[in-house]
Amino acid sequence: MLKKSHILFVLFFFLPVVSFVALGEDDSKLSREYKIKAAFLYNFIQFVDWPEDKEGSEDDPIIIGILGQDPFGDAFEPVAGKQIKGRKSLIKRIEGIKKLKKTDEPSNSEIESLRKCHLLFICSSEKDNLADIINLVNGQGVLTVGETSNMLKSGGMINFIVEENKVRFEINLSAVKQGKLKIRSQLLRLAKKVVEEKESKDEMS
Amino acid sequence: MRNLTIKNKLIAITMLTCFASLLLAGTGYILWEWTNLRRIMARNLLTQAEMIAENCKAALAFEDPKDSLAVLQALHVEPSIVLGCVYNNKNEIFVSYSNQDTDRAVTLPVFTEEGYEFSNGYLTVYKHVVLEGEVIGAVCLRSDLEPLYVKLCHGACIIICVLLIAFFVAYLVSSRLQRIISKPILDLADIAKNISEKEDYSVRAVSHTNDEIGLLINTFNGMLEQIQRRDSALVKAKDDLERRVDLRTADLTAANERLVMEIAERKKSEEKQTELLETIAKTNEELQDFAYIISHDLKAPLRGISTLTEWIMSDYANKFDDDGREQMNLLSARVHRMHDLIEGVLQYSRVGRVNEEHVQVNLNELVPEVIDMISPPDNIEITIENELPLVECGQTRIMQVFQNLLSNAIKYMDKPEGRIKVGCKEENSLWIFSVADNGPGIEEKYFVKIFQIFQTLSARDEFESTGVGLTVTKKIVELYGGKIWVESTPGQGSTFFFSLPKNMSFVCDNKSETVMNSK
Repeated sequence: MLKKSHILFVLFFFLPVVSFVALGEDDSKLSREYKIKAAFLYNFIQFVDWPEDKEGSEDDPIIIGILGQDPFGDAFEPVAGKQIKGRKSLIKRIEGIKKLKKTDEPSNSEIESLRKCHLLFICSSEKDNLADIINLVNGQGVLTVGETSNMLKSGGMINFIVEENKVRFEINLSAVKQGKLKIRSQLLRLAKKVVEEKESKDEMS
Repeated sequence: MRNLTIKNKLIAITMLTCFASLLLAGTGYILWEWTNLRRIMARNLLTQAEMIAENCKAALAFEDPKDSLAVLQALHVEPSIVLGCVYNNKNEIFVSYSNQDTDRAVTLPVFTEEGYEFSNGYLTVYKHVVLEGEVIGAVCLRSDLEPLYVKLCHGACIIICVLLIAFFVAYLVSSRLQRIISKPILDLADIAKNISEKEDYSVRAVSHTNDEIGLLINTFNGMLEQIQRRDSALVKAKDDLERRVDLRTADLTAANERLVMEIAERKKSEEKQTELLETIAKTNEELQDFAYIISHDLKAPLRGISTLTEWIMSDYANKFDDDGREQMNLLSARVHRMHDLIEGVLQYSRVGRVNEEHVQVNLNELVPEVIDMISPPDNIEITIENELPLVECGQTRIMQVFQNLLSNAIKYMDKPEGRIKVGCKEENSLWIFSVADNGPGIEEKYFVKIFQIFQTLSARDEFESTGVGLTVTKKIVELYGGKIWVESTPGQGSTFFFSLPKNMSFVCDNKSETVMNSK
């Protein structure tokens, strides 16, 4: 069973990757996209203020969580170990929520690790569980970033979009407010779209 | 400036001073303003750049040039900023903005370092965009300096206006105030001019102030007083002097008259002297003629006496006794002597009378001839010490000179071995001949006497001498313009010197002429 799923996983996820590698150009395009996205993730942190209790002490690292199937590859290499706000950064990869849920009740420690993240990037692999995930970290001062079209509707805060080969993002201001985070106006100004998706919150609650 | 009146000079000085100080102040102000404005401008532009950098931070981080451009376009409100430019972290131009109004400065400056620079009429500032300690880009702004220049121009215009107004005011003020200084001086100058024209030293200037001009006026008055005093003293002294001059002139006139008189007297006496000299010369001539005639005429009766005496001595030889014979011998000797004396006188007077023809005489031949003629005794040696010159004169006379001197030396020789030396040396235009012997010598007191006629130093009987020889020699030497003298040490010998001029012709001719004239 496990093996099967593994095979499936490999087939499902790596085929396109392989095909991209085969194509070459597309591959570099993709990797470039994720490099930019990785840099953007770091930059988001610069323009977002967390509530004081979440900020933690200076010695603690700023944790960037990657939830789900990691599409970045080595995209974090150029920024890895970079100081953010004078603090260390830490990339933490977490398995998909399905997996978490599969192990019976999602263990507290797993959920805690989700909630500890300052920024949680929800990969497109978790496209269907967005609401669940967001619900899990809601109110914990976690900046949720995604790259799927329903991200903002599901109560996510920032969503990457690709437009004319350029990586842009949109912001759900009400979610940010709800998360007790403050996004600096500079960042807001750069957003492709700033929405206030109230209903998502209602849905979720 | 030098020829201006004091009034104008003072005005000029005041105005120049005013102008110079204002110009200096104005220039200083402009310079200060210039640097200050530049500094302020640079600071402002840097602040602006910093603001833009701050605003572009996110845009650079998220590579959103549109936002940056929007930020840059806000620069539109400041028209002096002609260019704005944001670079990314690779130093590439991220966005750029250019003032539409100006076509200038299209070329974007290359990013260098943080800071500012003034060049080509622009101020350019550079500022890094720093995100969390990391340089993620840079901002460059370029501003036109024209507003600065306009401001400076305004300042300069105002300063020029102030300068002109100040100039005018300075003129007004100084032209009024200069009188304080110039008036007393001009008054003083007027007085001085009056005094020098009218020579009235009793005028006095009036001083109103206690400054240097007051002092000048007081000193001037003091000087006037002195001049007045001296003037009167001078007038007095002049009168005095005139009087004294009159007195002296009178004295001088008197002295002059005396002098004229004296000169006339002297002239008279000179005339008398000349007359006297003529008389003497005439007398001398007569005397000479007389001596010649007498001696000539006396010779004939004397010869008669001599012949008669010889006859008597031979005819009556037997009749005389010894005493008579001795008397007769004495008579004969006296007659002989008489004859010699007369002959001497004749010779002497002949020297002046006979005009002998001048010929070249070689003394080297003539002197040995003379020696031969004298035929000196064996115990006397005559030597010629050096070469003798050629002289132009009468041969007989020069022969006579040597003959007399040599025969004198032989005659008076008292040593068993007699040595006589004839020598000659050159001295300037003279030949000086010498005849030295080692005979008895002559005492100094006789040095003059020996050249006088009929004077001999020894007793008559000791040497047969008429005392004419040296006198004749002297006369001949002097006839040729020479001199004769003697030097001697008694007991050791004596040296006779005589000099002859090298070119004797003139002297000789002259002499001979006088001799002929006197004839």
